[in-house]
Amino acid sequence: MAENAPSASTPSVYEARGLKKEFDGGKVAALRGVDLDVREGEFVAITGPSGCGKSTLLQLLGSLALPSEGSLKFRGRSIPDMPDPAHYRSHDIGFVFQAFHLLPTFTVLENVQIPMFEGGLTKSQRRDRAAELLESVGLGHRLTHFPSELSGGERQRVAIARGLANGPSVVLADEPTGNLDSANAEQILDLLLKLHRDRKVTLVLVTHDLGIAGLATRTIRMKDGRVVSETSPSTPSPANHP
Amino acid sequence: MTFFTIVTRGLMRRPVRTGLTLAGISIGIAAVVALVGMAWGYEKSIGKQLDVIGIDMIVSNMGGGIMPKVFDANVEEKVASLPKIKETTSLLMQLISVEDAPMIMVSGRKWGGFTWHQLKVVEGRMIKDEHEPAVVLGRLAAEVLKKKIGDTVLLDSEELNVVGIVDGGSVVENGAIILSLAVMQRVTLNEGKVNFIDIRLQPGTDKNGVTETAAEIKKIFPEGRAVKASEVVGTSQGFRVAQAMSWSTSILAIAVGILGVMNTMLMTVFERTHEIGILLAVGWRKQRVMLMVLFESALLGLLGGILGVLLGAAGLLILETTPAIKGMLEPDLSPKLLITSVLIAVVVGLISGLYPAWRSSRLSPAVAIQS
Ligand SMILES: Nc1ncnc2c1ncn2[C@@H]1O[C@H](COP(=O)(O)OP(=O)(O)OP(=O)(O)O)[C@@H](O)[C@H]1O
Ligand SMILES: [Mg+2]
Repeated sequence: MAENAPSASTPSVYEARGLKKEFDGGKVAALRGVDLDVREGEFVAITGPSGCGKSTLLQLLGSLALPSEGSLKFRGRSIPDMPDPAHYRSHDIGFVFQAFHLLPTFTVLENVQIPMFEGGLTKSQRRDRAAELLESVGLGHRLTHFPSELSGGERQRVAIARGLANGPSVVLADEPTGNLDSANAEQILDLLLKLHRDRKVTLVLVTHDLGIAGLATRTIRMKDGRVVSETSPSTPSPANHP
Repeated sequence: MTFFTIVTRGLMRRPVRTGLTLAGISIGIAAVVALVGMAWGYEKSIGKQLDVIGIDMIVSNMGGGIMPKVFDANVEEKVASLPKIKETTSLLMQLISVEDAPMIMVSGRKWGGFTWHQLKVVEGRMIKDEHEPAVVLGRLAAEVLKKKIGDTVLLDSEELNVVGIVDGGSVVENGAIILSLAVMQRVTLNEGKVNFIDIRLQPGTDKNGVTETAAEIKKIFPEGRAVKASEVVGTSQGFRVAQAMSWSTSILAIAVGILGVMNTMLMTVFERTHEIGILLAVGWRKQRVMLMVLFESALLGLLGGILGVLLGAAGLLILETTPAIKGMLEPDLSPKLLITSVLIAVVVGLISGLYPAWRSSRLSPAVAIQS
């Protein structure tokens, strides 16, 4: 397997082997045996046609659902066997959804504080930290607004700030720009790339946009619940080439 | 923002539903307060009456309805001869409908007995002798019946003159129609019968003395029983009926309250599946989500309880002054009852929240967030 930077000796963040996920008691096979390695500091893009299992894979990585079969490890620990999956979700990763998934009855500032209830911060520390994060995504002037009062791009920036609430080292983003126009999409992408570059955050991003995928350390193509090819910028030709 | 903010926001976002649920619980709790308050009030006022008259023990028949069955008046003489007994008197009492009053105590008292002593005439005069076809009215009874001196009251088929209005020092006494035993027996066709013997014991009679006396009375009058005045309320048939009714209605009210809160919380949880999915996805522990749902339902219970206690107390106070009931009851609105009722409401809230809380924590974040 040809793999460039980061080198194969870099410790892995995710290691999946024979990962399967079935729905409706086996009638739907969303993942049919996925092998995947994501290393520290990588930016991995996942692409593929609709329904190929990208979101399902990301949900398994984020411990939002359990695999039907196979092994899945985060820094050597089995994700399905974690004694405290909530802590993993709140502290180790930040999850960004295509549909933002903000709480409509809470202000922007409150939404960002929600994950902090699982940390040991005081009320004022939570507030200050949330304000800081919102400042860093360019929403310092929108703290007391409700999500319904924001544009799609602004909502997604709130969601990213929420994802960073407890300082995760990994960000999982499922088509974060899928609901946005190109200008807003670019802003969100810049934000995520900056996190990856400046904070050395490991980024796993599902996207249909091959332009975005081109910026990644590696691009993984999926089809029918399987990984069909891996590309990195230095080996631009598809690996499924004979 | 604190955890409590999140809990209250959950209730405030559905003002109509929260309001309806609060109304449901508070009506339930108001019923509890009113019914139990009445039963306890009844108990308290009877206790006070016995105290004012200075009754130590009461002998009555075991069977009967609201009032015990009648027995031969000559039982009194036999009881009076027991060593520890200082004084006895006998009565024929009935709780009946008189003219406009749906329920009123009519108390025929043996002429010369100690149950007459504490009555103070506030208007008119006392009954002249054992056979005068007349009654005196407790002050409240006079108000309820709207009678003045010179009027008559119709007891069974006989018109009796109202010759005086008296103050007996307790609600029960003041709510009664009082007449001589002989007249009462004649009017109600109970010649030679009574249904209570009131006893004063020798001074210094201890608990053992009371128990012994009760046992000896049992020998003389096997179908009857003698109870200490302080216990008489608990053993009274009427009180037990009232108590059972108030508790069974209360339990029903509580059950309705539970269903109401549980329904609201279940609806809330179903409706908020998506939001609970978000909370779980951003890393809230199941326990925290459960706690949120439980806090919400407990808070509903607390608010409903406070509202219900206010409602119930207000209702009782209004009831107390309505003409039909005036003088019949002295509601007990002790802090004990009010606090207990609020606590019941909180427990109702917690119980109703248990299943919804458990259910919400069982949701898979991926599935919940998609709903
Ligand atoms: N909860 C579910 N129950 C049943 N089937 C499901 C469920 N979630 C996903 N699937 C099925 O699993 C397959 C993979 O779905 P998934 O959402 O992972 O695709 P995707 O690659 O993210 O597609 P898209 O690009 O449209 O988002 C699809 O056939 C989908 O219908
Ligand atoms: Mg998808």
